[in-house]
Amino acid sequence: MQRDPKVHFCHLGVFLFLERTMLDFYTYTLADYAIVALGMAITMWIIFRILVRLGMKREAATGYALVLPWLIGFIVWTAYPIIASLYYSFTNYNVFQPPKWVGLDNYIRWLTNDRSFWPSLRLTLLYGLISLPLGLALSLGIAMLLARSVRGVGIWRTIYYLPAVIPPVATILLWRWLLGTEGLFNQIMSPIYQLIGIDKPSWFVDERYALPGLVIMSLWGVFGANTVILLAGLKSIPVHLYEAVDLDGGGAWAKFRYVTLPMVSPTLFYTLALGIIAAVKTFEPGIFIKLNSLSTGTFLQVLVYSNAFAGGNSRMGYASALGWIMLVIIMALTLLVFRSSPLWVYYEGERK
Amino acid sequence: MNKSRLFAPLVVAAIAVAGCAAPPAAPAPRPQESAEQVPSTPATKVKIRLATWAGVEEAKELQAVIDKVNAAATTYEIVHEPQPADYYTKIQTNLAGGTAADLIWLSQEFIAGYADKGVLLDISDYLKNDTRLAAQLDDYFADILQTAQYKGRTYGLPWIAQPVVLYYNPKMFAEAGVEPPNENWTWDDFKAAAEKLTRDIDGDGKPDQWGTAFNGWPPIHMFIWQAGGEVISADRTQSPIDTPEALAGAQFYKDIIYNPKYAAPQEVIKEQGFSELAKNGKVAMFFGGAADDLDYAHTKDARFAEMKVALVPKGPKSRAAFAWTASTVINAATKNPKAAYDALVDLTEGIHRWKIVAPRKSLASAEVIAASVPQKKASAEVILKALADARAFRIVPRHSEWDSIFWEKFQDPLFQGKGTAAELAKQARPELEATLSQ
Amino acid sequence: MANVSTPISPKSILSISGIGSMKRRRVLGDVIVYVLLTLGALVVFVPLLWMLSTSLKTESELFLLPVRLFPEVPQWRNYIDVWHIQPFTLFFLNTIFITLLAMGGEILTCSLVAYGFARFRFPGRDVLFMIMLGTMMLPGIITLIPTFLIWRGFERIDTFTPLTVGALFAWGPAYIFLLRQFFLTIPREIEEAAMIDGANTLQTFFHIMLPLVKPALLTIAILSFTGNWNNFQGPLIYINTPAKYPVILALYAFSESLSKEAPKWHYMMAMTIIMSLPIIGLYLAAQRHFIEGLTIGAVKG
Repeated sequence: MQRDPKVHFCHLGVFLFLERTMLDFYTYTLADYAIVALGMAITMWIIFRILVRLGMKREAATGYALVLPWLIGFIVWTAYPIIASLYYSFTNYNVFQPPKWVGLDNYIRWLTNDRSFWPSLRLTLLYGLISLPLGLALSLGIAMLLARSVRGVGIWRTIYYLPAVIPPVATILLWRWLLGTEGLFNQIMSPIYQLIGIDKPSWFVDERYALPGLVIMSLWGVFGANTVILLAGLKSIPVHLYEAVDLDGGGAWAKFRYVTLPMVSPTLFYTLALGIIAAVKTFEPGIFIKLNSLSTGTFLQVLVYSNAFAGGNSRMGYASALGWIMLVIIMALTLLVFRSSPLWVYYEGERK
Repeated sequence: MNKSRLFAPLVVAAIAVAGCAAPPAAPAPRPQESAEQVPSTPATKVKIRLATWAGVEEAKELQAVIDKVNAAATTYEIVHEPQPADYYTKIQTNLAGGTAADLIWLSQEFIAGYADKGVLLDISDYLKNDTRLAAQLDDYFADILQTAQYKGRTYGLPWIAQPVVLYYNPKMFAEAGVEPPNENWTWDDFKAAAEKLTRDIDGDGKPDQWGTAFNGWPPIHMFIWQAGGEVISADRTQSPIDTPEALAGAQFYKDIIYNPKYAAPQEVIKEQGFSELAKNGKVAMFFGGAADDLDYAHTKDARFAEMKVALVPKGPKSRAAFAWTASTVINAATKNPKAAYDALVDLTEGIHRWKIVAPRKSLASAEVIAASVPQKKASAEVILKALADARAFRIVPRHSEWDSIFWEKFQDPLFQGKGTAAELAKQARPELEATLSQ
Repeated sequence: MANVSTPISPKSILSISGIGSMKRRRVLGDVIVYVLLTLGALVVFVPLLWMLSTSLKTESELFLLPVRLFPEVPQWRNYIDVWHIQPFTLFFLNTIFITLLAMGGEILTCSLVAYGFARFRFPGRDVLFMIMLGTMMLPGIITLIPTFLIWRGFERIDTFTPLTVGALFAWGPAYIFLLRQFFLTIPREIEEAAMIDGANTLQTFFHIMLPLVKPALLTIAILSFTGNWNNFQGPLIYINTPAKYPVILALYAFSESLSKEAPKWHYMMAMTIIMSLPIIGLYLAAQRHFIEGLTIGAVKG
């Protein structure tokens, strides 16, 4: 039986034999760390020297030397992996045997023959497309409230940013607990449930309610981050614009529609673009909450992880292909947002 | 002073050291050592790591077994590394990263795949000349042993065989006026009893107790076998699930599952839990593993219903019962194959006296069962009889693909009523057989 | 930020228009704002309070109906129990180890690289900078598997190395971007003065440039700390031995067992709070920098 020969990168014989205790786990990594740091510093110096020797101006050589860590990092950890990932996506690779070329097979399988793909695509996209605009609208509302100089604005801000500060994993666990069938959320909402005439939703157990549960969870978490950004944006709107609306006899709604919204649209645009990327990449909720990948679907990133590292059946080529499909989706959505921006984003200096 | 002259060799040295320092955790990959190895001096016991999925309770019991084995051992010392969360993913990553333990517990589904990829140590030669009891391959039940074998070579030793038995609630039977199960029960007897035991007690028009409950467990394979069919042929090249025999088994299963006439519906199972239904006296007959606690749970907690054990009903052709099995295998990259092998055999002997049922003919007795798990004394006879008809799955290297297709394209649509058994079997068969060819 | 202005307030309307009935509208407007703000604060607080109170309950109090907000007797010993059920000290040490090494690497290398981009002209600089910005948009999904395989080739799976040594390669494009902005705002004269005094590049960098961008460094330090403290996917993939778990993986392992046995949510919430405390503490102590971190590059001007 063949074993993957690529495992044995190095056969130069410097061996350090350490007994396996915790301290040695630390010192082991510390040794790696020190060696790489030292090596990096030395390499930067050498490159500098070589470039100067080759006749480059000192300033240019210094510049190259300084950005070297990033450059090496880019080549080793970004550029090469991108190419490698593309290559793997056209192979079957189970890690223990050399990759086997299969052409477009993986892509076709994902799109036609994998029952977890379409539900998961649906879940991931719907999650992003619902929670993002809703979250932004909420954040805008809160930011507008905070933008007024009310007493103790600092305290309000401290409170409102808190959800963004809590570690994401903590938020997920907290909401998993809150959204239990007999959890606090349902208890508080039970009068409303009775009004509408439905039973208490079993949020993460019943498949119909998985997506709404996830959206609720994300809305709570969104209180902080985007609110901060939008608040800063609101504060930079010149007062005279509002006064102009006043003089024209407009009320609060007019102020919102003709001043606030347009002026804040670049910021909205920016957060939307970044938010899409983040939404498609969602991972932790899919791991901490059990989602049935065949019915409700799970997050695409979780599918990549479970295919790459599944016990007994790791399919790294297959997982890589899904990664590229996700990239295409992200690019398509981002392009959509960019293309649509002239319709709704207002840049200062343009005439409407 | 020319500094750059100094640095070049320094850089080379730095890169060399950085790239080549051996990790403390992983045995450095070396060419596999031959079976004839100079035995290590008794004074230095080699550390053999054992990876299992044991939770806290199970780990404590296992440690007692390990301690006894270690006390008698001269060349090795077993160190237990439990990994209760995400077990198979961790094992996979460890194997890929070269940091896996020497001995690993694997459920039957995983062995053929890893053996095919060269990840497991072939112990056939070691076993040939070993006189220890646990190394006598012909003492093992052949069908159980084959799960630890691949292409004629052995890669591990099974430490358990859990045949499926029928747990039943005598009180519910008495209340409904139905005779309890006996050895001559057939499928029809089972169905008839299940129907009578599905009753509406409180008169609200909906049944409150059911004769039985299926939900993908027990495995449909069992009923296909009982009808004389196969899901994977003996030569591992075909999946004849569309033969009349196989379809008969599938149809029997389909008739019962979620059918409110005989069995608990899907929503009820979701709400109240599957085995909980039996434990709480809502379901009269429940297929369970021989080692399950359904027949002695009531002694620990009076809320649970008292249940007894019977053989599973006979099908048209046989009484084949599914037996779950797991084995301990050896990592092919282990640094100490001989010591690991010795540890494997001794450990397996120890586990055979702890877990029921040990998959060996010499240990298939009521005394051994009662010695391992005293609470099972009353059920020991039935379990032994079930063992006689026990069959394990036939696992192929691409098992998880096969299994996914079997579930997604055959079982799930069948249970949800999205097609007849014949249609679905015909469609699924070519796809299944595609995963059987290498 | 060109026009920093005070946000519109009812008071300014009042002074402009000078109409008396405006007074009532102002009060009404304020009241509505306060009500809404309070409601929002409740939405923020109640879950957090619930998290705290759950962590102080006994197991039997968890599922009582109707829900009781506070436990009978706060079980502070839950926290002690949790600390002992699993070797929490060890997990904390692991997390701190990873976070400190990664932070140090990131801050050092990112500031060096940013300095290079900001202050030195070299051919291809702008192209490289654009590429670097481009990597901000790059989803890590693509590089995930090959990066794992690279570390596997170096036999570093199940060690702390992949989570820390990578930081030495300036893997934070956002940090580089921010620092470059700050460096650009420093007048060249300062550097020139240092050069005249005989300082070389590195000395200028460490003794003059870095201190001048302290606020940015602080912000990045906070972001880096939080990022590494909360990092889940990395440890999930690279750490397999329970003894090496950072706190976040211990949380995961414990939550996994929740589905098998009776839910021990009180312990779960206690663990979650323990894990979040350092971050919350940092936030309360250095709010301004926290908030600045969130707005990196967001607002134009």
